[in-house]
Amino acid sequence: MKIRKLLFVTKFEDLCYDALNSLLELRKASLEHVVFLNVIERDKVAMQRGTGYLKEEEVKLKETANIRFIDWAENLFEMGMEVGAYIEVSTLIPEILKVVEKESPDLIVIGRSHKGTLEQLYSGSDVTELTRRTQVPVLVFKHMMEDNIVPEKLFARPLFATNWSETSIKTIEYIKGLKNVVGEIHIIHVVKDSALKSTDTHEVQKVRKVERKRLDDLCDELEEAGIKARSHVYVGDPQKEIEKAAKEYQATMVILGSSEKAAILERWMGSVSKNIADNSIFPCFLIPGKKNT
Amino acid sequence: MSKKVLVVDDDPDVRSFVVTVLEENQYIPLVAQDGVEGLEMIQKEQPDLVILDVLMPRGSGIRLYRTLKTDEKLNQIPIIMFTGITLRSFLKSQKVLNEFKGGEVPEPDIYLEKPVEPEELAAAVNKKLG
Repeated sequence: MKIRKLLFVTKFEDLCYDALNSLLELRKASLEHVVFLNVIERDKVAMQRGTGYLKEEEVKLKETANIRFIDWAENLFEMGMEVGAYIEVSTLIPEILKVVEKESPDLIVIGRSHKGTLEQLYSGSDVTELTRRTQVPVLVFKHMMEDNIVPEKLFARPLFATNWSETSIKTIEYIKGLKNVVGEIHIIHVVKDSALKSTDTHEVQKVRKVERKRLDDLCDELEEAGIKARSHVYVGDPQKEIEKAAKEYQATMVILGSSEKAAILERWMGSVSKNIADNSIFPCFLIPGKKNT
Repeated sequence: MSKKVLVVDDDPDVRSFVVTVLEENQYIPLVAQDGVEGLEMIQKEQPDLVILDVLMPRGSGIRLYRTLKTDEKLNQIPIIMFTGITLRSFLKSQKVLNEFKGGEVPEPDIYLEKPVEPEELAAAVNKKLG
C-alpha cells in the first residue's frame, strides 16, 4: 500500500511546517500530493450576545490560515508536489471526514487531541473518534521533546507493536509499502502477566520462545521485503511496555493497529492503541481495523 | 458576441470579485471552484479565457495549467494566473515538473499576484480578449 496523498490537519499551534517537513521523507514512498486542512472551531466565531456572528474574526482567522498555507504550499510546489487546501468554519472530525470523502487521502496527519479529560470520557478524543469513523490510517503527530523539536527522520526507527490481531497483519502490509522510508523497524509483542502464571519456569520460557519465533518470522518477512527489522518480547502491561520499549530503542514513532473494540466499550475501558495515541510522547501511526461499532 | 471567461477559484469572495469585473466589462462569466470542476467546465464550455487560481482543493491550478497546456485541443485557450502563490514559486514548480515528468510547458500569458485592483484585472482580460 502506497502513500500518494496525505491530509495534513493543523490548528497551527499543534502542527507546523517542521512537522510537515519531517513527513516529506514519504516522497520516497510515492508521496506526491499534500492537502492542508484548517478547521476553525465554530465557538471561535459563533453568535454571541450583543455582538452576533463574529464575521470579522472569521475573515481574520481564515486569512491568517491562508497566508500560512500559501507559504507552505510554495515550498511544496517548488519540489514539484501537488498541493490543495481547505479552510473551514466547522467541527473538526466531521470536517476531516468530509475532506477525506472528497480527496481520498492515503494518510491523515493530526496533532494530539485538545479535548479535556471529561470531554474525552463522554465524546472520546479526536483521535479515537477519527479512527473509529475512517478506514484511512492516521498519524498522530507529537513533539517528543519539551522544546518542541520535531525528529528530523520520523521513519528512521519506528516501533511496531503487534498483538497478532487481524489489524496487526494488515499493518504489516502497510509497513511494507514504506520500505524506502523506514530505516530499521523494531517489532515488539507484549506478553500479559496473566499468560505467565505457571510456577514452572520451563512453561514461562516456552511462552517467550514461541512469541520470539513468531516475531523472528515476521522480521524475516519484512527483511525479504527490504526492511531491516529486529524483534523484542516484553512482559507486563502493554501500554507501559510499548512506551518503555519505544524509549529503550529510541523509536522515532510507534506503529499500531488500532482497536477493533466497540466504541462504547473503548470509551469507558480504553484500548492500548487509544491510550498510546492519546498519552504517549511518541508520534503514533494508527492503522484502523475492521469497524465493529 | 460576448466572450466567455471561466474563473477557477475556491474562494467565493474572489469568484464574486472577478465575476463583477467581468460583467462590468461585458464578458460572460463562468465559475468553477476547484481544478477538477474547472477542467470539466473547460471541456464543456470551451471558454475564450481562463482565470486560474493555484492553491485549490481537488486538483491545483498547477496541475490544471499543465493539463491544458499539454492538451492539443485546449492549449490555445489563453490563461491568466490569478493567485497568492508567487510567480517565482510557480516557475520553479514548472521547472521541476518539466524535468521530472518530461515535456516543456510555456509560461502563463499573464500572471497576477493577489490582490489586484479591478482595473488591473480588467486590463489583463481586455489585453487577451480585447
